[in-house]
Amino acid sequence: MPRPDPTAELQKALRQRILVLDGAMGTTIRTYGLSETDARGSRFADSKKDLLNNGDILSLTRPDVIGDIHKRFYEAGSDICETNTFSGTSIAQSEFFVDDPREHGGVKDPEFFQKIIDDTMLRDLAWEINYESAKLCREWADRVANETGIKRYVAGAIGPLTVSLSTSPDANDAGFRMVTFDQVKEDYTRQVRALIAGGSDILMVETIFDALNAKAALVAIQEVFEADGLKLPIIVSAAVGRGGETMISAQKVEAMWNAVAHVNPLAVGLNCSLGPDLMKPHLEELAKVSATNISCYPNAGLPNPLAPTGFDLEPPHMNAFMKEFALDGLLNLAGGCCGNTPEHIAAIAEGVKNIAPREVPVLEN
Amino acid sequence: MSTIPRVLRLSGSEAYNHTPDKNFLMIGERTNVAGSPKFAKLVREGKLDDALEIARQQVESGANVIDICFDDGLIDGKAMMARFLQLVQSEPEISKVPLMVDSSKWEIIEEGLKYLQGKGIVNSISLKEGEEKFIEQAKHIRRFGAATVVMAFDENGQAATYEEKIRICERAYRVLVDKVGFPPEDIIFDPNILTVATGIEEHNNYALDFINACRWIKTHLPHAKISGGVSNISFSFRGNNVVREAMHSAFLYHATRAGMDMGIVNAGMLEVYDEIPKDMLEHVEDVLLNRRPDATERMLEFAERFKGQDGKKLEEDLSWREESVEKRLEHALLKGIDKFIDEDTEEARLKYGRPLKVIEGPLMDGMGVVGDLFGAGKMFLPQVVKSARVMKKSVAWLTPFMEAEKAEFLAGDIAELMEKDPALTRDEAIALAGRRRSAGRFLIATVKGDVHDIGKNIVGVVLACNGFEVTDMGVMVPCDKILAKAKEMGADVIGLSGLITPSLDEMIHVAKEMEKGGFKVPLLIGGATTSSTHTAVKIAQHYSGPVVHVLDASRSVPVTTSLLSADQRDSFVAENNERHRKAREAFTGGPKKETVGIVEARALARLTDWSAYTPAVPAFTGTRVLESQSLRELFEYIDWTPFFHAWELRGVWDREAGVLKTKNEEGAKEAAKLHAEALELLERVIAEKRFTARGIYGFFPANSDGDDIIVWNDDSRSTEKTRFHTLRQQLKKESGKPNEALSDYVAPQGAGKDFIGGFVVGIHGADEWAAELEKAHDPYNSIMAKALADRLAEAFAELMHHRARVEWGYERPNEFGKNELIKELYRGIRPAPGYPAQPDHTEKPILFDLLQASEATGVELTESCAMHPGAAVCGLYFSHPESHYFGISELQKDQVEDYAHRKGMSVEEAEKWLGPWLGY
Repeated sequence: MPRPDPTAELQKALRQRILVLDGAMGTTIRTYGLSETDARGSRFADSKKDLLNNGDILSLTRPDVIGDIHKRFYEAGSDICETNTFSGTSIAQSEFFVDDPREHGGVKDPEFFQKIIDDTMLRDLAWEINYESAKLCREWADRVANETGIKRYVAGAIGPLTVSLSTSPDANDAGFRMVTFDQVKEDYTRQVRALIAGGSDILMVETIFDALNAKAALVAIQEVFEADGLKLPIIVSAAVGRGGETMISAQKVEAMWNAVAHVNPLAVGLNCSLGPDLMKPHLEELAKVSATNISCYPNAGLPNPLAPTGFDLEPPHMNAFMKEFALDGLLNLAGGCCGNTPEHIAAIAEGVKNIAPREVPVLEN
Repeated sequence: MSTIPRVLRLSGSEAYNHTPDKNFLMIGERTNVAGSPKFAKLVREGKLDDALEIARQQVESGANVIDICFDDGLIDGKAMMARFLQLVQSEPEISKVPLMVDSSKWEIIEEGLKYLQGKGIVNSISLKEGEEKFIEQAKHIRRFGAATVVMAFDENGQAATYEEKIRICERAYRVLVDKVGFPPEDIIFDPNILTVATGIEEHNNYALDFINACRWIKTHLPHAKISGGVSNISFSFRGNNVVREAMHSAFLYHATRAGMDMGIVNAGMLEVYDEIPKDMLEHVEDVLLNRRPDATERMLEFAERFKGQDGKKLEEDLSWREESVEKRLEHALLKGIDKFIDEDTEEARLKYGRPLKVIEGPLMDGMGVVGDLFGAGKMFLPQVVKSARVMKKSVAWLTPFMEAEKAEFLAGDIAELMEKDPALTRDEAIALAGRRRSAGRFLIATVKGDVHDIGKNIVGVVLACNGFEVTDMGVMVPCDKILAKAKEMGADVIGLSGLITPSLDEMIHVAKEMEKGGFKVPLLIGGATTSSTHTAVKIAQHYSGPVVHVLDASRSVPVTTSLLSADQRDSFVAENNERHRKAREAFTGGPKKETVGIVEARALARLTDWSAYTPAVPAFTGTRVLESQSLRELFEYIDWTPFFHAWELRGVWDREAGVLKTKNEEGAKEAAKLHAEALELLERVIAEKRFTARGIYGFFPANSDGDDIIVWNDDSRSTEKTRFHTLRQQLKKESGKPNEALSDYVAPQGAGKDFIGGFVVGIHGADEWAAELEKAHDPYNSIMAKALADRLAEAFAELMHHRARVEWGYERPNEFGKNELIKELYRGIRPAPGYPAQPDHTEKPILFDLLQASEATGVELTESCAMHPGAAVCGLYFSHPESHYFGISELQKDQVEDYAHRKGMSVEEAEKWLGPWLGY
């Protein structure tokens, strides 16, 4: 069932304090040491391809683990947790279920992806992943809210896909694209509807490395709102490189804000790709130009395959960084991306507690 | 409360905010088929590269936004809009600006919106088809977040007069703001700039009507913007660019003062208002401002004299063309300009003699700069890809020359291959020769379990642009398929990509399988979670071929080119291995290492099945002295590479070719010169008898006793002559890897009759001669003399070890060539006290005493256990087949206490000697 629009109460809370987001789903799942057999369960036992790294499928095969992660994040102090739906699209799921034609000298092109979009198995699977994941997150949000008396929210996570609308994989044709805007938009439209049906309070277009992919998601969301007569808050969050550009399509942060301001997002922000130190200058720029709340959930430093968690920073580091960001007046929502466990989130929550949120500038009349 | 000013905010990949300090927003008109006949022609003929060049020029000459329009009967506007905007997205220099999607057909506008990652402008919508349609279209535009131009048009047609203009604009504004919720600052009115001086009287006031409408809109419709197609105004003077340009700038001067914010203009071809000649300005303004009834006639007459003259020339900044060809190629790569690439490539080809030299030289250097800038966050991926596409054009120019060269070389190669390996059939030789001459086949895949595709695709594109034959197997590709495909296609390089942590293990797996499968080709590792340290520490040791971490797409080109270059491969691989070694050292020296106690470390010692092992028996026991070793005999044992390093020349010395393999051509020349001078000086050393080489070596019955090595008085092995003490690694190892100590290479007491060797060599005379040369103001030869003495001492140690191995009975005299000797491919090691495997210098006196070395060789030990003369080497000999060099670090207190006790030292003294290796 669609939820009522929580924008007003969220805005009210955001005026009072910095809200806490959750940490990483993918890298936290890995700490459970699941096996391929766990990931498949009986339902996908005969699947041809490995499913262990298909984190979203665990909402169906190991809801106990995903639920436990939500529970731990909420208990660590997250006001908002993201659903386990980063790859809850036909396109992203196809990578785990459909033969890659390139293994046999073929290509991935719009014709290939049209079959993916039209594939009923993938469509049903993507719907189920989104719907069940949202329900799972909802269940823990409500349980922890009841236990603690603090309202918790569910953000439907909308990931960046495994394809790019802005780049060509063909050396001989810079204008070639694997997939079309309409295909991507259709896929996102279904994801949005399923996330809403499962009980999401917020829609979160995140880890944006290709701003055109994100635009397709944002258009899809608005079309769903209009067609279905409802509205939920939207959070928009980009994954930027060292120069402050969306990694693949190279859009600078202010350019991105200009391109998404029309959806009137509850928040705009940065996540993934960089650790807090490298992210800071770009966050400062975004905070300066954006007439809305700022969210920030960086990785726990840069990936370091030789560190025990796979990332450089530990909870005390994240605590210090996010506290600094908060004191600098940069934050309205804070959390962590890859490498951030519930312990990191507890440290972040502690760090930003009792620090006034960034004052959101208003657009002059 | 802080506020953000309400201004028109647009974006491409960069933001454009129309803040009050910006006078006028220039919209480039030349990518509009109606604005540029040249552009229209290029598009009709399908010459989109050239059409893009026009777009790029517009941006370069200052257009803040470019207008893109394909409304032309001979063009499929919808398809071309899609295609062109996709191409624009691949041109970072163009796509940085916001785009204006221009069409009179709504379906083309709808299509165009799907290709704008930023906030662009729609041009245009209007009330022409009624309010309902207008609202629907505005809502659609709003969902895509674009601003929009609204034409002063309604159900009754175009607004020509002032009254019509303001009436329609006001109506449209109220609908957009009140009914659609369109932000007023995103509404851009085009109140129609209509042609004046047509000879029709009603047209005379058109310019003034527009200007006055601007003023009214600015006063009555808050935040709304005003634009217009400026060249319309002067349409009567087609073919007379001087007059048209003067009219445009005079018109803009007045219109902007009245509030016009932007206009569709030929950016870069606007006359400056103040520079319009006075008489021209007077005629022009008479027309524009409708100042006198005969203005048109007077203007037509005045215009006659400028007919056929060129207007302001579009000025392109071509100062970079003055630079050297290398700089020009670099500029072209950095800026993504392919306009001059053919001529520059040809010039470079003539200069460098061979096409391949151009690729390996200036082109690769240029890509290196691209890589540096990308690494520093100053260039972004689309720019890297664009650089690669420029590179592609350059390579394409060179390809026919390479083909011709290839044909020429091929015959020679075939003959050479068949001579080398008579077992080859002719067909095999042809195939092999063909392979040798191809640019390189690159197999790339994202490993099993990982679906990340895009970064890998970009690497594939960049490599393909560089002329490599790229086979992309896609994502989630299992190891066996990768290897099977590599064999099938004869891959020259395999590249593995992965973004998530579990992919790292899969990469290690592939490396192991490649080793098992007997592969030799380079393995490249890339993707977000990979790192050079991880590659060095966890992957490289599993594969004996080159393993190289590639930081990003921009680095894939120089890495692959070097790996496949006959000239550069060896030095590149050597440097890569050296980087790995350093990375491993830095890693094991890093802060977060786990260690184990000495008891556990001993339990994890290297295990040899001594019952199945027969120690080698040396030809003699006791010592032998080499009183005066021939220096000439040492020459061929000299490893020159460290010699050049002493002179800051990096690279690897190729003994056979007698050249230093390095990327730096100057360095190679310098090295050749240095080498010749060194040989000359060596001849002088011999002629003047400057140096003498003295050495001693010996073998002794020995057995290990825990971490000590007992040296027996004789083969009865009943009484100890002396005892060496070794140290054991205490870092926690991967399972299956032993914690090494040198004592593990000697059979323990009771497990067999093993032996140990020892040696000391020294080169005398260098210090004295160097001092003499110094005094004679010849510092160069003074340094050279010392450097040569060091090399000779090492060469002597190598020669002596060679002799010792033969005498130990496990190596035939000519089993290894000199290259293999230098690469230490033989069995057995000669570690020196004070070096990584046994860092304690105080083991030296034990060795010297055992050999009676000082008496025999004149090499003395100082109080700090340094050798004098400085050009001296000492060490122990181990013959165990598994023996190899390793490093001790992070010694723990428990071992140091135990070691001090074994040596009869105080713990403090042991800690003093082992300072840098202590891990507590």
